[in-house]
Amino acid sequence: MIRLRESGMDARNFRYLTVTAVLLIFFAALIVVNVSTGSVRISFRDAADAIFGGNLSAPGYDILWKVRLPRIAAGIILGGALALSGFLLQTFFGNPIAGPYVLGISSGAKLTVALMMVFILGRRLTVSSAMLIISAFIGSLLSMGFVLLIARRVRRASVLILSGVMIGYICSAITDFVVNFASDESIVNLHNWSQGSFSGMSWDNVRVMAAVVLAASVFTFFLSKPVGAYQLGEAYAQSVGVNIKAFRVTLVLLSSILCACVTAFAGPVSFVGVAVPHLIKAFVKTSKPLIVIPLCFLGGAVFCLGCDLIARSLFAPAEMSVSSVSSLFGAPVVIYVMSRKAGRD
Amino acid sequence: MDYFFKAERLSVGYHGKPVAEEITVSLKKGQILTLIGPNGSGKSTILKSITKQLTLLGGVAYLGGSAIQEISAKEFSRKAAVVLTERPKPELMTCEDVVAVGRYPYTGALGVLSGMDKEKVYSALRKVNAFDIKDKNFNEISDGQLQRIMLARAICQEPEIIVLDEPASFLDIRYAVEILDTLRSMADESGITVIMSLHELNYAKRVSDWVMCVKSGKVLYLDAPGVIFTKDIINRLYDLREGCYDALFGGL
Repeated sequence: MIRLRESGMDARNFRYLTVTAVLLIFFAALIVVNVSTGSVRISFRDAADAIFGGNLSAPGYDILWKVRLPRIAAGIILGGALALSGFLLQTFFGNPIAGPYVLGISSGAKLTVALMMVFILGRRLTVSSAMLIISAFIGSLLSMGFVLLIARRVRRASVLILSGVMIGYICSAITDFVVNFASDESIVNLHNWSQGSFSGMSWDNVRVMAAVVLAASVFTFFLSKPVGAYQLGEAYAQSVGVNIKAFRVTLVLLSSILCACVTAFAGPVSFVGVAVPHLIKAFVKTSKPLIVIPLCFLGGAVFCLGCDLIARSLFAPAEMSVSSVSSLFGAPVVIYVMSRKAGRD
Repeated sequence: MDYFFKAERLSVGYHGKPVAEEITVSLKKGQILTLIGPNGSGKSTILKSITKQLTLLGGVAYLGGSAIQEISAKEFSRKAAVVLTERPKPELMTCEDVVAVGRYPYTGALGVLSGMDKEKVYSALRKVNAFDIKDKNFNEISDGQLQRIMLARAICQEPEIIVLDEPASFLDIRYAVEILDTLRSMADESGITVIMSLHELNYAKRVSDWVMCVKSGKVLYLDAPGVIFTKDIINRLYDLREGCYDALFGGL
């Protein structure tokens, strides 16, 4: 025990615990504020009465259960998913500015979801959560495939990122065409969604995304060990027994499914995947996956709850897209990381 | 059959194209083999192939009696450790974190270090005289310290064979001699077999049991240092003019 203390273990653990505690406080506070603010103000006591008391006649019962709570749940689940997706991509490419939005993977998912929705809605059929996720997953894998092809040809990290941004533009442009050709009533839905928004979530949506994201996140957590070895590079990871091929395929599939889940339900939400893992690592001053992975999830949830609160309350009753708000906070972090990285090289 | 490492007519290279061929060598436990030869002669390719980073194009390499391709990844990682030329650039890792990666083959599903693992990390750090820098950021240490840390990482993997690609390059004489002496004492005391490439001939002469001269993908000579380090052989290996060898080894 004495030796452990000398080695600074306590100082490190203290830092991890402090960061976790601060994030949890923000997390709880944002939930409370998100529950009570909106077009109808619901006092904290009424909200508690409606949520925990099961009091059907509590003021705002319907608004809470049908609108705000599923929206908050979606913010938490999808925010966490985005941060983890970014973390996995950064591990895969060994590049701190890789992320699902920056690499065009979100936009690829957006395109296939838009195509699927126009096709299905045009036939007056209903779109299920599973259809959303599957089409988004196909799109994110296609984009990821393009990015991988480019990454194979060029080793330069900056070229990789630029190519990803371009793929994103191409997919978004095609999505715009598709949306504009679609019939009137579906456009209204599609337009909001294609800008990035947590609004209009149903409990069915939340159940499906929770199942998928939870499974993928637990899987990611159990990748902590190889991710840690991979931080020393592929050759060293292989030399301690990591199956590199299987590991890389797993990273691609997991990051794509997490990103697909977000895009399927909320559209593209920008820069969370780059900003959150970076901020978390800067706070805890380590890149140990066992610490960073759970905190990334929590951090992503806090980040998205905060962004969504601003998006829906700043110009209420009008709503901004959550992606605009997340860009405002996330993009500067990306610029900072890029400039620091360029300075080091 | 008391050879620990055996290579029989290895053919090594990339994408099916051989870079070096007809590599045959046998080593006992605790012996040090050094590969010398001009740049691009195929030394690194040989080292990468016997550590399974590259697939052998032909021939068989044996480790403790089994062919290396038949040893599972996990088992192989408990037998063989490497020190490579590439410098890892991990984010926010301390030297201790880097060394601890060497315990990977022994930890559980989540890679959490036990008290014993931690003890082994510390003893490896002490062995290379790097215990005092264990809390430093790995990206901020000097080349000499870096090589100590990478060796400590290999040591705490508890291998039976360590393969090193140019472990003394970029090091000043103090660090270089210290690293090579550590390898020598591990070979003598713990019976660890060492295979490495070196550019510094005077170091190779000092530390090796066997020296393999590789030139243009062929083994020119394989013998004890006393035989190899003569004017004729070294001049022929490096295409040197008369007199260069004396200049190199004049003081030794």
